[in-house]
Amino acid sequence: MTIKLYKFGDFLISRPAGRDAYLSAKAYLLNKKADAIELDFEKIKVLTPSWLDEFLMMLKKDYPEAEIKYRPSDNPTVISSLKTISQSP
Amino acid sequence: MDLFKLSTSNSRLKILNLFLTDPNRAYYLHEIAKLTSISAGNIRRELKIMVKSGLFQSYRQGRLVYFIINQDTVLFEAVKTLMKNASVSANEDIYGQALSWVSKPTASSLPKEIYCQTRDIFLARLQSFAERLEIKIGTDAYLVAAVAGEIGNNSFDHNLGNWPDLPGICFASSPNRVVLADRGQGILKTIRNVRPQVKNDARALKVAFTEVVSGRYGEKRGNGLKFVSSVVSDKNWSLRFQSGRALLELSKEKKLKITEMPGIIRGCLAMLKY
Repeated sequence: MTIKLYKFGDFLISRPAGRDAYLSAKAYLLNKKADAIELDFEKIKVLTPSWLDEFLMMLKKDYPEAEIKYRPSDNPTVISSLKTISQSP
Repeated sequence: MDLFKLSTSNSRLKILNLFLTDPNRAYYLHEIAKLTSISAGNIRRELKIMVKSGLFQSYRQGRLVYFIINQDTVLFEAVKTLMKNASVSANEDIYGQALSWVSKPTASSLPKEIYCQTRDIFLARLQSFAERLEIKIGTDAYLVAAVAGEIGNNSFDHNLGNWPDLPGICFASSPNRVVLADRGQGILKTIRNVRPQVKNDARALKVAFTEVVSGRYGEKRGNGLKFVSSVVSDKNWSLRFQSGRALLELSKEKKLKITEMPGIIRGCLAMLKY
């Protein structure tokens, strides 16, 4: 299952927006069961670790078994945010 | 001193703006350099002119020479009026303006074009700023927006419903720099929510910028300022981040330096140079 993040806007910056986006994804986009969930960053202009962290934290809580994948992106904010998130314990 | 020359010297405007924030306060040379980001040489030259004119006085205390504005001279009122009109505005000295705002013991209003009372206002302005900047510097504009977004959102995340006086933040930009400030609780108080043993502002800043810890109790997060630090280093930008009495400087040489400041500010004050 792939989630196209641009559907939540192309400036993904704040924690509250990340939380709102996840709740909306859960209600309308995500299946009840998923083995793998892929995030697609196409068309995103600005992503911050705060937005992503909020989204991922709730996603991992609801889908502890699912493998979360990230589609490659050349956007510098996506690259830096993923780097920061991957370094946190 | 020719007062009309005031408006032609940006350094002099910055120095005057600093001293007029609290006319009773004296500063020594390197303190002024830190607070205004002007070289000590430039400050020395400007102060020499202004001391000679009688607008400033200097005195020695120990090994330091202090400077204070002379409120008894007729020049003082004239300069004050001139400075009000002299467009120490968002475009010319946004850092000085933000510093003045966070240094005052009681809240004063900010020009509406740089005051974001709510997060929604901040994010709308940030997006508009990033889109304009993209035309000039390309996709790096998005990184500038992400860094500014993390700093600005931090202010709202940690102070929402708990602002000591004025809610909201200052968000201003001029060519190659962005300034953000809030009159919130500051880093030390928020860090102490989860690390009560943190002793002072300097230590709190170090923790906030180098460790993954969130000041919001019960939350497993706190990546924002590490991201800021990482992007600033990777891009060879520079950052000044002050909270309470501590100033963190992240220079183009990728060095992180934290110093204790003589003056205290409310909340946080950040300037990103890109």
